[in-house]
Amino acid sequence: MLKIFVMYPAANLYLTPDLNIAEVVLDNPRIILLLEHFNIYVPLHEKTIREISIENNLNFDLFLTFANLYNGISYTSPVQFSFDEVQSIINFLKKSHTYYTEEMYPDIRNTIKQMFEVNNYEEMALIDKFFKEYFKEVTVHLNYEDNVAFPYMKNLHEHLVKGAPITEPVTYSVKEYKEHHDDIEEKLNDLKNILVKYLPPKNDQKLRRRLFFNLSELENDLNIHAIIEDMILIPLVEQMEQYLKNLSE
Amino acid sequence: MSKPVNIVITEISQVIFEGLSRILSRSGTPVHISHAASLSDTEKFIISNKKSVIVINPFYIQNNIKQFNALKIEYPDTRWIAFIYAFYDPQLISLFDAAINISDPHNIIIGVIKKIIPSGSDAEKSRNEEILSDRETDVLQLLATGLANKEIADKLNISVNTVITHRKNISQKTGIKSISGLTIYAVVKKLITLDNLRD
Repeated sequence: MLKIFVMYPAANLYLTPDLNIAEVVLDNPRIILLLEHFNIYVPLHEKTIREISIENNLNFDLFLTFANLYNGISYTSPVQFSFDEVQSIINFLKKSHTYYTEEMYPDIRNTIKQMFEVNNYEEMALIDKFFKEYFKEVTVHLNYEDNVAFPYMKNLHEHLVKGAPITEPVTYSVKEYKEHHDDIEEKLNDLKNILVKYLPPKNDQKLRRRLFFNLSELENDLNIHAIIEDMILIPLVEQMEQYLKNLSE
Repeated sequence: MSKPVNIVITEISQVIFEGLSRILSRSGTPVHISHAASLSDTEKFIISNKKSVIVINPFYIQNNIKQFNALKIEYPDTRWIAFIYAFYDPQLISLFDAAINISDPHNIIIGVIKKIIPSGSDAEKSRNEEILSDRETDVLQLLATGLANKEIADKLNISVNTVITHRKNISQKTGIKSISGLTIYAVVKKLITLDNLRD
């Protein structure tokens, strides 16, 4: 009799410190992106997650938590790390920003342009404009994080290390970051819907597929990015704020 | 407003029950969740509300197929989802309306549940009518030309709240939320032309 074979997606394996990181990458190619965001590159040889974390001065719990996010394990409540991890988290997020702005967005823009070159039709012109405007919004948001939110958090941590209360007037708080942190995934999702459901066929299937893969890849990374901010970074910064406030009282 | 969906989880493991409940309670659809300990126990939770979704470990079915088939006939509005974390005969799994694997990410689990919610609920209705109504088309056309909710309301002689409801339905049907995205949709569907946009 035919037996059912359930193919569990490898991407849902819960990762532990002694797994071979190269094997983890082979099971789930997206982990390579996680590594790059941590400034780690292939080849990985026979190293375990624990070894590669230590080698790169990373807390392996933090590494594991992020890696599990890339493996499809989601967190529904805040994950606690020590204040000292703030720098690593920010570095990771900044590196992801570079990936978005210097790699993904130009790639996507380029594909849209190529589609437009193949078929010069009005919908494509609108899509090009749509994406251009969207990218502008995203850039504003990422720049805000890089230039305002992250430096503020770093400053908090420096004060904390010194045990010195903040003396300069406090004009900013992570609350603002929370509010600014608007939903940049919405328009990406709109574009995917238009592409998959509605855009009339124009003999450009390969370009469309490439565009769709890129949009999905970007969306996935942005999703994880948002989880890291909401579930890990923001709660941690809120605690730092509270700690420093108590210190100055 | 949509009524909560009655969900019964028939599962021996407390860990899995808690985990599933947590995922389902965050689905965005109102749910009422009960925990059953056997197939007979499950039936108790169906009676009070005939439109139900049962998430059940196939383990409870494999030696009770007769009883299971009887229940399916007795409660035609109920949907049965197998929650799988071991190997089962495909013929057994084929008795269910859908299946969820223990390794499925939460969005897939929620997707399966939403897809299967018995018809009559709000979520299902909007999924079935994919084509926009005449009024929704009117709203979309005005929206795409750049009018604000208030202006659309005045033009169509309806309240702002009605405009907002139409917009919500349009987004639900198309999967597109932003105005610029909806504008592209309107052009693709030939509801407006680029000349309309330039005016």
